[in-house]
Amino acid sequence: MSDELNINKKRKNQIKTKSSAASGRGETDIDYVRPAELPEQDLYHGHSFITKWIFCQDAKVIGVQYTLTAVFTGVVGLILSWMMRMQLGFPDLFPFLTAETYYQMVTMHGMIMVVYLLTALFLGGFGNYLIPLMVGARDMVFPYVNMISFWMFFVAVVVLMASFFVPGGPTGSGWTLYPPQAILEGTPGSGYGILLMLISLSLFVIGFTMGGLNYVITILQARTRGMSLMRMPLTIWGIFTATVLALLAFPALLVSSIMMTLDKVLETSFFMPTIIKAGEALSYDGGSPILFQHLFWFFGHPEVYIVALPAFGIVSDLISVHSRKNIFGYRMMVWAIVGIGALSFFVWAHHMYVSGMSPWFGFFFATTTLIIAVPTALKVYNWILTLWRGNIRINTVMLFCLGFIVTFVNGGITGIFLGNVAVDVPLSDTYFVIAHFHMVMGIAPLMVIFGAIYHWFPLVTGRLMDEKLGKWHFWVTFLGAYSIYFPMHYLGFIGVPRRYFEMYDSPYMTSAVGMNEFISVAAFIVGAAQFIFFYNLVKSLRLGKPAGKNPWKANSLEWLTPDVPPTHGNWGEKLPVVHRWAYDYGVPGAKEDYIPQTTAPSEVKDAEVEKT
Amino acid sequence: MSKIIKKIFGALVEKPWEGNQVNIDNQHVGSTFKGVSSYVSAVIVIFGVSTVLFSLIVTAYLYSIPGGQDTMFLFKPNLFWFNSFVLILVAYIFRKITKDLENKRTSKIKRNLIQVGALSYLFLLGQILLWFQLMEDGKFVSTNSYFTSFYFFTALHGLHLLGGLFFWGKVCSQILKLDEKKILDEKNKVEALSLYWMFLLIIWLVFFLVVYVFNDAVIAWCKELIS
Repeated sequence: MSDELNINKKRKNQIKTKSSAASGRGETDIDYVRPAELPEQDLYHGHSFITKWIFCQDAKVIGVQYTLTAVFTGVVGLILSWMMRMQLGFPDLFPFLTAETYYQMVTMHGMIMVVYLLTALFLGGFGNYLIPLMVGARDMVFPYVNMISFWMFFVAVVVLMASFFVPGGPTGSGWTLYPPQAILEGTPGSGYGILLMLISLSLFVIGFTMGGLNYVITILQARTRGMSLMRMPLTIWGIFTATVLALLAFPALLVSSIMMTLDKVLETSFFMPTIIKAGEALSYDGGSPILFQHLFWFFGHPEVYIVALPAFGIVSDLISVHSRKNIFGYRMMVWAIVGIGALSFFVWAHHMYVSGMSPWFGFFFATTTLIIAVPTALKVYNWILTLWRGNIRINTVMLFCLGFIVTFVNGGITGIFLGNVAVDVPLSDTYFVIAHFHMVMGIAPLMVIFGAIYHWFPLVTGRLMDEKLGKWHFWVTFLGAYSIYFPMHYLGFIGVPRRYFEMYDSPYMTSAVGMNEFISVAAFIVGAAQFIFFYNLVKSLRLGKPAGKNPWKANSLEWLTPDVPPTHGNWGEKLPVVHRWAYDYGVPGAKEDYIPQTTAPSEVKDAEVEKT
Repeated sequence: MSKIIKKIFGALVEKPWEGNQVNIDNQHVGSTFKGVSSYVSAVIVIFGVSTVLFSLIVTAYLYSIPGGQDTMFLFKPNLFWFNSFVLILVAYIFRKITKDLENKRTSKIKRNLIQVGALSYLFLLGQILLWFQLMEDGKFVSTNSYFTSFYFFTALHGLHLLGGLFFWGKVCSQILKLDEKKILDEKNKVEALSLYWMFLLIIWLVFFLVVYVFNDAVIAWCKELIS
């Protein structure tokens, strides 16, 4: 510990000396950046295996921990989806798949994928790894709280998984957990299952708040010298805005989880109306199930953007790096991220058009929903214009980015269908809705996650992933996902309802049976293709080509650390000084086709600045 | 507030790729909001999150418009008033502490910090006694939605206070060991605590006014709004 203090003191003295030297420089010096005013951060460097890799305070290790835990839950979610598709494609073939287990799988699949995989991976995984590196900080501002945040998440996952093993199994009330049925007898898992789900969600929210606190304060208050807000990469803007959304939206999930727990355990009546069961009135009285829907969707809709905004930010950076062009319309991209974030709090009731709301209420929410399409479309145009006449590298990262754009546009357009009350009402609770949200917030963000992992894997491990395997992974996933979800739109149009365990002898079966089988086979193949990715990960970790420093020739700070992979504290003795934004690619007059953020103007005197 | 809005929205119109902007961006030295410590920033973020949390509970309460409540409870003199007074006193003492720190007067800081903790525990004790009083009166959490909201809100508020007391304990134990002159080094932490208690008071007062003092008027207003 004393060694660490000495190192920290030494760093502080060096910075003091350099700052005083810099303050003597004239204002006309084009390379001049104002000296740092923030004190150096004291970091706790772990020495044992436990403090270095398990109870570790380094945001990068925490990011990897979040990623691995989230991916584990994702694999569980994937296996659940396989089992669901087995039942839907080939009913009665597997006798262990009863209606109860089917509903439990649907519920757990939905909750795991939305909250425990996507949210945790984007904010906990990428957020932790990238924020300090991309803003030029040594670590998060509260590393200890950050560590606790991960362990809360871990316990939340353990509690959630424990519900598979309790009497009655996990809850089968659907991922929206609507009361009153979620906590009443007759619904699968209405005993311990729903309780564990609600406790797990509460733990998740508390843990996330600790993490989110760190992300927001690190981004706002601990950036390095010269890193103004508008010099931040869009990845950071996306993660920052999504974190703010999460901090404001997750309390609704927490409140509704606690309230429903109280309804279940103490027989309060937050969400429970008067209910007559077998001729006898239950003890509940006066509660409102619709109140739960409002609270749930006040969290649930921003949740879509909590997943989407980091994906938007990350994909913008990946496209810019791999097409060797500055991002088109950087400011508009930032405005769009912030605008979408703000609007996302005014659209929640479009998930409740069939709840019997006033038509005026529906009109309001349809309008706000459609307005969101404007900044979203703007982003799509800007991605395409970034690619326009770029020096595009068709590698795995770029393929996933292109896959994202196409998938997001597809899912977004069907969102415009469903945003309109008149169109939504007949399509509500059909496979069209399943197809829409899987495209827009399932496959599209996953495309970005894969692209981002292929992109930043060399930074985390020092090795490149196998390109050939990566391309196989992409094409099978991309084509397979379309084979699953395109036909689902059709199924929705002909009225096949979602959430049904089996179609029995309904007229839907005659035309839908073949398509359901096809979708199931495609789902098995796409799921299996993910093991190509896992194999690639493990293989590249040991045998991948050494990446060296900055293999993609990127500008942002995370690639400019003295060590690759970066060590604890990130920056060695000196914090980086930022002289420019992160998008100086292909600048006319510059020797290289990229100018890193730390390159001083005097080093690239002939470079011309290009406007977007 | 207007400065904060100007700072954030002003930043959004900057053009980082233009020559003029370079000189401005190079002036950035670390934090977006100068003079705001990480501790105070953390309290502000918690303030935001908890405000949403408590607002949703109050909204849920107003949404359900409780019926059949025992309004006599509202007019009985009881611990509710006393507890509210204690919380106001705590916030006042905290304000004194921060003023003393601003003016570099450190002689009474330790004593006042202990008072703050003691009174906060007294508030919690008072709340628990109030709960017992209510339960003896037959008013339980499941009696009706008024008392459900009442217990729920006060429990969450109490948990927030307990969380604050945990950090108060940490800061207080550090400060009690320090020389009077060195207390100023811990100014940021005490300021953050003071802000947190102020937030707890604001939340409490809103709750006190909506659910207790003007309860009937608020319910009547809500009913009118809905009709």
